Amino acid sequence: MSTKEDRDRIDLLQGTLDLLILRTLLRGPAHGHAIAKAIEFNSADVLQVEQGSLYPALHRLIKRRWIAVEAGTSENNRRAKFYRLTAAGRRQLAVETSKWDKLAGAIARILRPAE
Amino acid sequence: MFHRKRMLDELPQDIAEHLDRETEDNIARGMSPEEAGHAARRKFGNVRRVMEDTREVWIASWRDALWQDLRFAFRMLRKNPGFTIVAVLTLALGIGANTAIFSVVYSVLLKPLPFPDADRLVFVFDRLGQQSNTETGISFNNLQSLREHNSVFAAMTGAQQHQLTLIGYGDPLEVDTVVVTSDFFSVFEQQPLAGRLFLPDDSKEGAPATVIVSENLWRSVLHSDPAILGKSLSFDKHDYTVIGILPASFHFPKIKPANQIWIPLPQDPLFGPFMKFHGGHWLPVTARLKPGVSLAKAQAEMDTLSAELVRELPAENTGWLVRVRPLHQVLVGDVRTALIVLLAAVGLVLLIACANIANLLLSRATSRAREMAVRAALGAGRGRIIRQLLSETAVLGLFGAVAGILLGWWGVRALTVLLPESFPRLNAIHVDYFVLGFALLLSGLASVAFGLAPAFLVASSNPNTNLREGGARSGQSAAGRRARSVLAAAEIAIAVVLLMAAGLLLRSFSKLTAVNPGFDADHVLQALVSLPRFQYHTPQQWNAFCDALLARVQAQPGLQNSALVAPTPLSEGFINLGFDIVGDPVSSANTSRTADYVTISPGYFQVMAIPLLAGRAFDERDAASRPPVTIISSALARQYFPNQNPVGKQLIFANAPYPTVPHEIVGIVGDVRDANLGDDPKPMMYASMAQEPMPGALVVSRTTLDLAGATAAIRQQVAAIDKDLPVTDVFTMPEVLSDSVAQPRFRTLLLALFAAMALVLAAIGIFGVISYSVSRRTQEIGIRVALGASRAAILRLVSRETLALVVAGLAVGIPAALAASRLLGHLLFGVSASDPLTLAAVSLTLVAVAAVAAYLPMRRATRVDPLIALRHE
Repeated sequence: MSTKEDRDRIDLLQGTLDLLILRTLLRGPAHGHAIAKAIEFNSADVLQVEQGSLYPALHRLIKRRWIAVEAGTSENNRRAKFYRLTAAGRRQLAVETSKWDKLAGAIARILRPAE
Repeated sequence: MFHRKRMLDELPQDIAEHLDRETEDNIARGMSPEEAGHAARRKFGNVRRVMEDTREVWIASWRDALWQDLRFAFRMLRKNPGFTIVAVLTLALGIGANTAIFSVVYSVLLKPLPFPDADRLVFVFDRLGQQSNTETGISFNNLQSLREHNSVFAAMTGAQQHQLTLIGYGDPLEVDTVVVTSDFFSVFEQQPLAGRLFLPDDSKEGAPATVIVSENLWRSVLHSDPAILGKSLSFDKHDYTVIGILPASFHFPKIKPANQIWIPLPQDPLFGPFMKFHGGHWLPVTARLKPGVSLAKAQAEMDTLSAELVRELPAENTGWLVRVRPLHQVLVGDVRTALIVLLAAVGLVLLIACANIANLLLSRATSRAREMAVRAALGAGRGRIIRQLLSETAVLGLFGAVAGILLGWWGVRALTVLLPESFPRLNAIHVDYFVLGFALLLSGLASVAFGLAPAFLVASSNPNTNLREGGARSGQSAAGRRARSVLAAAEIAIAVVLLMAAGLLLRSFSKLTAVNPGFDADHVLQALVSLPRFQYHTPQQWNAFCDALLARVQAQPGLQNSALVAPTPLSEGFINLGFDIVGDPVSSANTSRTADYVTISPGYFQVMAIPLLAGRAFDERDAASRPPVTIISSALARQYFPNQNPVGKQLIFANAPYPTVPHEIVGIVGDVRDANLGDDPKPMMYASMAQEPMPGALVVSRTTLDLAGATAAIRQQVAAIDKDLPVTDVFTMPEVLSDSVAQPRFRTLLLALFAAMALVLAAIGIFGVISYSVSRRTQEIGIRVALGASRAAILRLVSRETLALVVAGLAVGIPAALAASRLLGHLLFGVSASDPLTLAAVSLTLVAVAAVAAYLPMRRATRVDPLIALRHE
């Protein structure tokens, strides 16, 4: 099903998955399957994740009150559970993103020091 | 919590919807429906593991925190082994003592008797007048009358007990014999293991002699003989047919569940003849209340029936009232007060133990205040810090509980060995789940009690101050210091209460044992010879035997000073009989006269060293053929012949085998405490054994021989007359005296032990507070010494603090002790509950112990080197 070779995939770190979920929800509430799709699409299938591992992460974020749950209907009028970012989640995302940027920058500098 | 439940409940549905959407997407991409489903599930991963991982998200946090707390607590305790050992031992002592005493209280006072519907079993007895507190049995005639006319009892039975000798199975064996009326087993609602129980016909006159044996006797002595039913057993050389075996689970209260037999009352050689003796109050009666009948209603009916009994037999029943009490209460008797006092005492010991541990925790908490401040600064919430401290005390409490329960279990085993044999329900005492539950609950409560105070104190202290202050000096909040002092003072106060109680019991006990029993016990021994009633059935035979026995015993070297008596003072039973004074009949206004009856051979008063106050002692003149005579005690003379000379007056005993014969009073002797050392001497009347013999008697000898030698000589002489006669109940009189105070001795020892524990714990508490205070003030003391304060001045400084603790403790403790000792009630003998001497001794003891406890820290204070102290910071 995947078009890439297995060794090209990067296992998602737990914190990274949390960050990706928050990032996805920044664009508006979404249901579980849509979140999974969005993460797959945005990372161009590089960041492969078993879709199931989304759920422990969603619950972890709910417990931390970074996201909330609301009932709604999906595109084809089906019942669906929508996850939405809370104010606390938005703040957390800002903190995490800047951390991530710093880390990514640091890695980049290390990998290409002489540029 | 709400989130968690709802989210987890909906998870399967969420996953199902997710899979549906993925499947639809796959179909849209052109997969077959089947392939699409498979692909969706593959991409999702293991559904079960996802659900487990999700559940874990919610559970993990508090479980991890708890585990972390416990592991940390364990590490902290291991880092301070001294503190941990002292705290765990202190708690173990408290829990152990409570577990042991509670298991006795539970088994004896709380657990119902081992009979069906045991709460409906009552004891029915006669009481002379309203005010008297002697409970006696009732006559067989009255039992019959009550049984016919009452409407409150489902069944009533009379039961007496003594021993018969089983012959034919090895050596002659004394078996505990319960002599019963036919309703006995209906009252206790028992079923036989084999055979049948007694029917009314077994108690009819002329019925064949029958016996029911206990399972124990059947299994041990009778070798589980499967054909025992229908066989004959020889008791006291008389044949009884075995009709049934009773299961080992049943045994008559008050007798050890060993070798018991049951026989119908008319078949009993000892008590059978008493059935026709309407004036005797000899048969203890047990009854079963009908369902729904209250004790009060039963008593009301007994009041009515008592009046009818008087109308029926006025001479025998005037003045007597039939009373009803719960059987459990009667069996437990006066042990209740002692047990409740002991339970209260161990409760107080546990309180002191908790106060001590709280004190230890407080001083540790103070030294850890900085650590806590750092934690708080790093973002630990107040609740989290309290939780961590509480989990430390919980681990401590758990260790204490385990050690305490082990100690308690061992204590119960020690108690059951040490308890006097007369202790009620002794064989029911053991540690069961209920007791274990109690111990665990107690440990939990104790942990919370000593854990909460320090936890809140630390959590409420200001982290900023603690961080600013230096390590050693941090957290010396006034609240903490006050809490520690209050705890130490409370320990002293509780110790005062316990010491006072123990002191009063000790004084009572020493007074009790110093009481003059009325005879000189030194070098006197006793041995019982009972005669088989079927072989020796006439008074003439008893007389001949007693004469021969006494003559033979007195002929032995060292046993010249011997006599016969029945019964001996302070032994199991005493015989209380009614009597009349010739020429001064009982008027309806005054109640019946009673006195304790003893039959003796000449020489008895000399052997026992009971002084003859007037008239003469018995001698060979008082033979069976001569006019009956009696000797009365000084108490009888005082009570019934005030301002008269009783010698020459005549008494008529209401005595079964020898009724209505006037006995001339020939002498007056000194009083003897025959029932109980703690009771005032009761009126007594002595009969001449030659005139009123019994089937057997006790040999009493004042001898320089040792017990073994004397017993061997007596056994030899008894065997020379009849080789089948057993000699039993061999004791020295000092042993008899000592056994008679076994229960007071026991409770006194226990309470003294608990008071000693309390004292040691309180001393540790004082030591803790003073040594902490000295170390806290090292710098101050250093400055004082540097400025020229003398050693004495420093000593005064520290001892003032100790004194303040002791004074505060005494100020609260003494009034509390005075109030508490009133609860000791009848346990006291010869001292008042507010005995000033005991109070003074207790106060002095505490001051002395406080001085000793404060000595080490005080010495350290006087040796403070100002240079070191000033650099202390």
